[in-house]
Amino acid sequence: MKIFVSGLYAGGNPQPGVGIVRSLRQGYPDATIVGVEYSNGVSGIHFDELDDLWIQRPWGELDLESYGQRVREVLDAGGLWISGSDLEAMWLASVFPDGHANLLAPPMAGIKRITKPVVEAASGLPVRIPTYLSTEHSDWDLHAFCRAQDWRVWLKGPYYDASRTPTWDAFTAVRNALSKVWSTEKLFLQAHVSGYEESVMLSAYQGELLGAVSMRKRDVTAEGKTWAGDVSDVPPEFLEPLRRMVRDTNWTGGGELEMVRDASDQLWLIEMNPRFPAWVHGATIAGHNLPALLVQAATGVRAQPVPAQSAEFTRVVLEVPVRADYPLPPLPEPFAGAVGHSMKHPSGLTALAARLHKIDPDMLDVALAPEGSPAPNAVSALPETYVADIGAQDFGAMQTPQYIYMESTAEALFASAAERARRLSTDDVEVISGYSIKTNPDKRLIKLALDNGFYAEAISLGEVQTALEVGFRPDQVILNGPGKWWPEGLMPRETMHAVFCDSVADLDRVVAAVEAGEMSARHIGIRIRTPNITSRFGIPLDSPTTFAKLIEAVKRLPTDSKFGVHFHMASSHVGVAQWWHLFESMLRWCRSIERLSGRTIEMLDMGGGWYPDDWHADETSKIAHAAELVRAMLPAVRQIASEPGKAMAQPSMALAMRVLEIQEHEDDMIEAVVDASIAEIPMHFWQPHRMVRQCGETGALQPIGRGKTYLMGRLCMEHDIIASNVQLPEGTRAGDLLIFCDAGGYDRSMSYVFGRG
Amino acid sequence: MYLVEDKAKRADVRTSEQLAGEGFMLATPIASPGGKWEHFPNSHISHHGKACCDIAHEWLIAYDFAQLNGGDILSGPRWMREHSAWGPSAWPIHWCEAVDAKIVDCGVHAAIAQEAFVARGLRAFRAQFIQRYSADAAASWRESWGKGDVSDHWIDGDAIYHEGNAVVVGDDHVKLWDGSAGWWINPRGEAGYGSLAAVRIDARVDSFATGLLWGNRRIPLNLWVEI
Repeated sequence: MKIFVSGLYAGGNPQPGVGIVRSLRQGYPDATIVGVEYSNGVSGIHFDELDDLWIQRPWGELDLESYGQRVREVLDAGGLWISGSDLEAMWLASVFPDGHANLLAPPMAGIKRITKPVVEAASGLPVRIPTYLSTEHSDWDLHAFCRAQDWRVWLKGPYYDASRTPTWDAFTAVRNALSKVWSTEKLFLQAHVSGYEESVMLSAYQGELLGAVSMRKRDVTAEGKTWAGDVSDVPPEFLEPLRRMVRDTNWTGGGELEMVRDASDQLWLIEMNPRFPAWVHGATIAGHNLPALLVQAATGVRAQPVPAQSAEFTRVVLEVPVRADYPLPPLPEPFAGAVGHSMKHPSGLTALAARLHKIDPDMLDVALAPEGSPAPNAVSALPETYVADIGAQDFGAMQTPQYIYMESTAEALFASAAERARRLSTDDVEVISGYSIKTNPDKRLIKLALDNGFYAEAISLGEVQTALEVGFRPDQVILNGPGKWWPEGLMPRETMHAVFCDSVADLDRVVAAVEAGEMSARHIGIRIRTPNITSRFGIPLDSPTTFAKLIEAVKRLPTDSKFGVHFHMASSHVGVAQWWHLFESMLRWCRSIERLSGRTIEMLDMGGGWYPDDWHADETSKIAHAAELVRAMLPAVRQIASEPGKAMAQPSMALAMRVLEIQEHEDDMIEAVVDASIAEIPMHFWQPHRMVRQCGETGALQPIGRGKTYLMGRLCMEHDIIASNVQLPEGTRAGDLLIFCDAGGYDRSMSYVFGRG
Repeated sequence: MYLVEDKAKRADVRTSEQLAGEGFMLATPIASPGGKWEHFPNSHISHHGKACCDIAHEWLIAYDFAQLNGGDILSGPRWMREHSAWGPSAWPIHWCEAVDAKIVDCGVHAAIAQEAFVARGLRAFRAQFIQRYSADAAASWRESWGKGDVSDHWIDGDAIYHEGNAVVVGDDHVKLWDGSAGWWINPRGEAGYGSLAAVRIDARVDSFATGLLWGNRRIPLNLWVEI
């Protein structure tokens, strides 16, 4: 009996080959086991249980056609082949689409049914699939997905590699890297599931399940790979559907379902691999020799039984002698000036991925939606008011770069917010909005806020003065933030609507000023810093000691002012669901503050940083629910203020720019220089912007999709690339107008003067 | 992990060796799953009856909810182990001391976790464990507790008394939380170092007359059950 085993890489993120060999040796002590590899830099080739080696050139060099023929000859001659590599298994499936009696790997039809992320073949199992989104959707939609998942997301390729992308800039960087390494733009984002990791390994031959075991990780590497685990039987409620799945897919070979069990005991399927897992010998130690079962089914030769030694296994690091006929290759020299020698894929798997794409462009596609579903659209549609506002501009006379005030968009947003506040108000509790001036101090927006019944939310006396100049009365001003006494001498003596203290020191200063008659406010309160979220603002609640200080401070607040609490965290930063959890957490803190201080809270001010879509679209029910929650938990509250600064300002301006130069490079890559820069659009790194080109001939607006163009700003700064991976419409040339929408929030207020002459 | 008498006599803490022969505790385990801890009560944190303990208790509840971070309410309160390491605690201990302490024993962890679980709206009960370790581990702990001038009555041979929580996760299923370790105890029932030898779930409710199911085992309530 001659058994060929591949996937012998045995580093910190090992392949299963060595484990398969160890298991086979126990089941078939007399078998000839041949290690197959594609690099002599793979450590597992030196494992002494291998009788022979068949070392090929790396995948990038191999002549796949002749190699396929040689594999066929090996199989026809009676050799068995167990693949320890996903991509090799896929390639073998392309060579033997209907399988081969001696090829102990799944057929192509089976492999296609386990494609990530849907793993369609596993639909009968008691598992759920974490929500996901194809990166073929527009950046606007991808950003929304990340917010909805609280930025707890993974960006994954169809075969290997997954990276956490906790911010937009991390996402765009990883997307570029993964696309390049794995030769595909078809990636997907998937929600993270928190819990314990466990796997089910199976062994099957021609549609018959031979055996399966369950393993829970008990120790993991820094990459989350198994280092130790416990092995147990697969429960019947999992085993029977697994048996059906194997039958439906006519599965042959090993397989692994990688899952996470969450706190409520729900299993989430992360992926299924078309091979045995690297912990395969751990199961053999526990008495489940699945590779031997596979060989037994294929050959009819009974495997030697192996008694269970333990239900648990762990790994150790061992040094082994290097085979004299395969001396270690030299370590590649680091790139000049660089650190480290990493050659992540010594056998050239990334090259194999590129070649498999050529063999069958659809072979490795991620499976994202049922057939018949609408295809992802990489271009975001522009709201009608955007089109109208941009269309109303006289671009011919416009000096660029230039911010465009989106008048009808802004008016509609403020009117809508005002209407919602009215709708949510009751006789007992008034819901108000405060326009956060810092988000964009443009007086047109401040005036809109005034006209729509907003209050003015200021973080400095300079902002207070701006609000007063536009027409706000002092009693329509909410003063907040750590720098509220700056600049000196501008504090209004008239009664303001609310003042919130950012620290105990600030609170003491406010108390002293009120007592001295230097300031007055209907509501005086505190801003709290909720634990577990990094923030530099507010009074901390990190320990009972700081909490006790806060309680004492609240007791010092003037009793002739109403007491308020302010809470602020950028929803776009922490994610929508997490924001709402923070909100509920904040209510609990408020309830405790009331109990302990004896002061009842009459005003609750909650910010902020809401992404426009999150705030304006279908949020009424959430905000209504929040108001109900406030009423239930804090019955003394008479006013709930929210501060939708970014939600109002961001859509209210766009940035017009002109193309200065277009440079075409190889492989469709284009670099275009524009007359705008990160000085005008500094939020480029943190959020996507919907972009259009105005056609020079027709004046029509053409959406800008995704492609291989980089839009580079005019500044002499290395990071002045204001958009990457875009596709300029056909015919775009120097002098053409581009418009970046969604630039009216911090893009506008944080723009700076560098490079403006 | 403390003796009932310890609650009232903090200054009079003595080691088990000192106490041996005084009828204060059994010198050797009795033949029952609970061993010498057969009638041991769960640890109970005291309240000064003043604002200091009110503040600590309110802080604990709000802080635990904040630490959930949007996660499942069945998540174990892992933050407690970060907030206060496991080690010798002198008893009695009050809420204001327990919540602020940098080092506490398993009785404090379990009592705090119980408050947190219940405040989240979960059904949770106090649980007592006997675990197997080794003579070396016992000697090391005796040394540490001795240096802390705290009773080491929770050690007996190579067995120790430990406290945690039983959290109801289904109709009558529970998971056992070891707050000092920050993990859920494995219901597979391994023997050996660190394994669970016996458990008692303290639940004075009629709705679980047939006990609670932990893994494949049904645990009758208020009785030591050998694992």
